[in-house]
Amino acid sequence: MQYDPFSLVMIAWLIKTTIQFSTPLVLTALGGMYSEKSGIVNIGLEGMMLIGAFSAVAATYFTNNPWMGILVSVIAGGALAAVHAIITVKLKGDHIVSGTGVILFATGFTTLMLEVIWGQRGVSEQVTPIPQLVIPGLSEIPFIGDIFDSLSPIVYMMFFAVIISWVVMYKTPFGLRIRAAGEDPSTLDAAGVNVETVRIIGVILSGCLAGLGGAYLSIGYGSRFGKLMTSGRGFIALAALIFGGWSPIGSFLAGTFFGFLEALDSFIQLTIPALAPYNNFIQMTPYILVVIALAGIGRSRPPKAVGVPYEKEKRA
Amino acid sequence: MNQEPITIDEQSNESSRFNQVFDKLQSREFRSTIFHTTISILMALVVAAIIMVATGYDPLSAYSALGLGALLNFDQVLWKATPLLLAGLSVALAFKCGLFNIGAEGQLYMGSIAATAVGYMFALPLGIHIIACLAIGVLAGFLYGLLPGILRAYRGAHEVVTTMMLSYAAVKFTQWLVSEGPMHNPGDSRSVSPFILETAEIGKIFGSPFLSWAFVIAFLCVPLVAFFINKTVMGYEMRAVGLNEEAARTAGIDAKKNMALALGLSGALSGLAGTVEIQSYYHRFYDGWSAGLGFDGITVAVLGRNSPWGVLGGALFFGGLKAGGSFMQTNANVPSEMVQVIQGLVVLFVAAPKLVDWLSKHGIGFASWIKNNPKSGIPSLFSFGYGILCAFLGIVAVGPAVETSFMLLLLGLLVSMGSIAIIVFNLIRDQRSSQITMLISICWFLIAIAGFTMQFVSIGTTSLILGSIGIIIAIWIIKTRPEVIQGQEGIE
Repeated sequence: MQYDPFSLVMIAWLIKTTIQFSTPLVLTALGGMYSEKSGIVNIGLEGMMLIGAFSAVAATYFTNNPWMGILVSVIAGGALAAVHAIITVKLKGDHIVSGTGVILFATGFTTLMLEVIWGQRGVSEQVTPIPQLVIPGLSEIPFIGDIFDSLSPIVYMMFFAVIISWVVMYKTPFGLRIRAAGEDPSTLDAAGVNVETVRIIGVILSGCLAGLGGAYLSIGYGSRFGKLMTSGRGFIALAALIFGGWSPIGSFLAGTFFGFLEALDSFIQLTIPALAPYNNFIQMTPYILVVIALAGIGRSRPPKAVGVPYEKEKRA
Repeated sequence: MNQEPITIDEQSNESSRFNQVFDKLQSREFRSTIFHTTISILMALVVAAIIMVATGYDPLSAYSALGLGALLNFDQVLWKATPLLLAGLSVALAFKCGLFNIGAEGQLYMGSIAATAVGYMFALPLGIHIIACLAIGVLAGFLYGLLPGILRAYRGAHEVVTTMMLSYAAVKFTQWLVSEGPMHNPGDSRSVSPFILETAEIGKIFGSPFLSWAFVIAFLCVPLVAFFINKTVMGYEMRAVGLNEEAARTAGIDAKKNMALALGLSGALSGLAGTVEIQSYYHRFYDGWSAGLGFDGITVAVLGRNSPWGVLGGALFFGGLKAGGSFMQTNANVPSEMVQVIQGLVVLFVAAPKLVDWLSKHGIGFASWIKNNPKSGIPSLFSFGYGILCAFLGIVAVGPAVETSFMLLLLGLLVSMGSIAIIVFNLIRDQRSSQITMLISICWFLIAIAGFTMQFVSIGTTSLILGSIGIIIAIWIIKTRPEVIQGQEGIE
């Protein structure tokens, strides 16, 4: 069946799908921001998302309460991030190597547990997803109603998280400390703030948000966990973070744009099947754009001390 | 007249080279590397064993099946190690120049797709066809590595991000080529290319269905890369750039050119890894065939500490894990995904060399402290042992109730985490160890109450006993505490 690509219904559908697809990307990119702004490279976002997606389904399966699933996914993402934090901050290990380990562990662990709990490879059993938030009266309005008719509450959490992150990052002492830890840790240290603690909190926050992003994939948008279900979204989120210039609003815009590309992919399949064979090129766009953005005028500038372990100066 | 001194010179050179290798093997650095790596692997295996026990598998039979599987199917080990070795060398070579080639996967895909194209599109004579495929695969990988290399060197785009992103782009691009694009096998519902011609296939050796000449090619790359890094001018320059870019530039080395070329060569090795896999085993390009080989290359390089011979060791180790993994699945009923868990844990532990140092330092300190202050040391030792016991039992004890009670599982996890804190606090001789021990025993009592109310008598009794032991130890520590302070003052 073919739909008219320019009908109001389809455009509303495209906007709605964009919001849905960009939610996990924006949440995870925001998470990555806390970590990278504080000076810790976090390529393990993919693994943290995966463990969040898995634990959300597992917790929902055992408790029959999807809200418990969300809570556990945030905790699980944070716990995995804590491992990354201990290795990179306390033990001064290499950030990329540790991130790789996190991804490998999460991939293996979730696939293993999939088989342990449900005894099957590939996908888990269906669980109750988070109930969609229906705002009464809104669905009556023709165009806007189609968009906001029934969205997962996590979508609204995402919007909320963007605003909160902006306020925290630029209007609170804590945000200033996070940014200082990434730009100039020795000054922060001289001001009497423990750089290591700030960085550890930053990394753990990143895991919590990535876990929530993963939970959206498994129990917000869908209702089950599939093997490797994040399929590179953690890296797209990382790309959104970089493309957005390491800022909350930028991450949000870039994440929404990448979500739009993903939605466009489905949109084209529904409306212009003749173009469908070239969908792979749409899927490639986020990756290529980031490379261009980094190689271009050098506008994307990472925090200065990112990736550099902070060694406190010893007293003489 | 002239010839004699030269021969003598060569002999002495020869013996000194032998001595160099010997000295290197004996050196402190080498030993500590081996020590760190071994401890890291052991710790990874222990943590994996805990996960196995918690999920209801038997780690002993799993490990014996794993080891046996690797030994019995040694040809499979070498077969699995082949691409790992090349991908590992690729990552290690870039790292020598201070660059992290995290997107080896993409170069591997580009290399293998190019080789596949040459493999089935052109009819060439036997020997030439193989070499043509290899060459084009290496070239494609080289170019796909050179691109981020140039961007890094001349535009300052960080290679970790660009190689990673280009890697995903390559996966999508090759997927298009073999699904909708020109390389799709006509009439096939899957996303595959046609089979390569027989003239392009790399032959098997020793009558094994898996092991082929590809391993020999990969193995020969080890001394080649070692020679390149250690003995050639360009290798020297790359190492210099890797150690200190500014200093190298001051010394007149063209750092930018070396960086770009290092990533290019790294890409060439990755391309070769993909090419030999296609030519020797798959014989056609499947969409997503590599399943993370590029990532495995990082783990191999990390384990091998980026030295070519170390990478060989790392590749054999992970090759053994992979080959043993399927044997473990059939003979010990442990899913082969366990191997990936072990792999991730090994990388995490290797990433933190200071953990081993920290453990050995505090371990020795703890032991000597107990020896000097037996009165307060022994309760602490008991508490330490209790911590280890509870870290294990926390998850294991609540195992039977996993299906019914989620809170019980969470409590068990909490106990396990807290017990790690007991271990750490005891090791650093922190006074708070008694409080944590107390907290954990309270958690045990909570589990006991929950267990009895939910009719899990075994869980209830076990936790009751463990809780009581914890309380006794905690009180014992508190009672002996004043003497601890006195004892410490006495030492100082």
